[in-house]
Amino acid sequence: MTEEPTKPPFDEAEYRRRQRSRANLMAWLLGALAILFFLITIAKMQIFQ
Amino acid sequence: MAQSLTHGEMTLPADWRDLFALTKPRVMSLVVFTALCGLLAAPVSVSPVLGFASILAIALGAGASGALNQWYEAGLDAKMKRTANRPLPAGRLDPQTALQFGVGLAAFSLFLMLFASNWQATLLLAASILFYVFVYTMWLKPRTPQNIVIGGAAGAFPPLIGWVAATGSVAPLPVLLFLLIFLWTPPHFWALALFVRSDYAAAGIPMMPVVAGERATRRQVLLYAIIMAGAAIAPWPLGYTGALYGWTAAILSALFVLLSLRVGTRQSAEGDLMLPEKRLFAFSIAYLFILFGAVVADRWVLA
Repeated sequence: MTEEPTKPPFDEAEYRRRQRSRANLMAWLLGALAILFFLITIAKMQIFQ
Repeated sequence: MAQSLTHGEMTLPADWRDLFALTKPRVMSLVVFTALCGLLAAPVSVSPVLGFASILAIALGAGASGALNQWYEAGLDAKMKRTANRPLPAGRLDPQTALQFGVGLAAFSLFLMLFASNWQATLLLAASILFYVFVYTMWLKPRTPQNIVIGGAAGAFPPLIGWVAATGSVAPLPVLLFLLIFLWTPPHFWALALFVRSDYAAAGIPMMPVVAGERATRRQVLLYAIIMAGAAIAPWPLGYTGALYGWTAAILSALFVLLSLRVGTRQSAEGDLMLPEKRLFAFSIAYLFILFGAVVADRWVLA
């Protein structure tokens, strides 16, 4: 590797778009996992009753 | 060399689509399906929630293995046309992010499996992830043309894990299903390796056609297909499945061997389109899907 890659100018709109899209996805995933863990707990309680 | 991710002084956060691509979603679909079949073929009834969570854990474990595999092989992937556009070699993702994502996903998948099912399935899932990453990706793949044969064990774990998640113990049928995928892997991958041979040669990966040559690879495709057909049909005469699975396995395995015979007895010429190899590769995927579907159908019909 001899050549330095040329750095494009910082695109703040793209930066914010990616941050937002990841934050939204994380929020959905965490919500889904909270529900899943709740359901697993209920299912296990029923098994051990 | 991958282009830089930095824009000026700032680094762009990874796009979630690239993180998703890192998990090899197409491979994951086969893993999820075979694991689900293993779970559904077990002679116990599983709570749908616990079954779903166990399959999700297996899928996440497979995704973690895929991510760690791509993290380790980013340099090799850049040299192959088929893989050059993956997030890491294309420079859309930072290697550190990929590593953290892979390790985090692996840890979470194990936690979820332990929470939803049992420690036996968790141990098997951990073994399959470690085997795929350390034994297959890091040790065998760059060293020996037998990489696919032994590494195939990693892909054979899902139905076994699915069964153990449901029952808490190992039985002969899931072991036979493990054996089936294990023996299916060499003809499946070597069919692919025959028509992307130049790609593997460029990356310096010692795949069978690169090291042993085309003729030897074709012979081994046929040999493994015959042994695999035996393993596929075995659950029927051994009494672990019924006639529905038995006939499906017999007919499809005969077709598999026929297609392998075509591949095993020919030699490619200059500018060859490699149609028999492509046909075998495509059929091998359908074969596994249908056969595992038949295991479940058979169990539910018998029940």
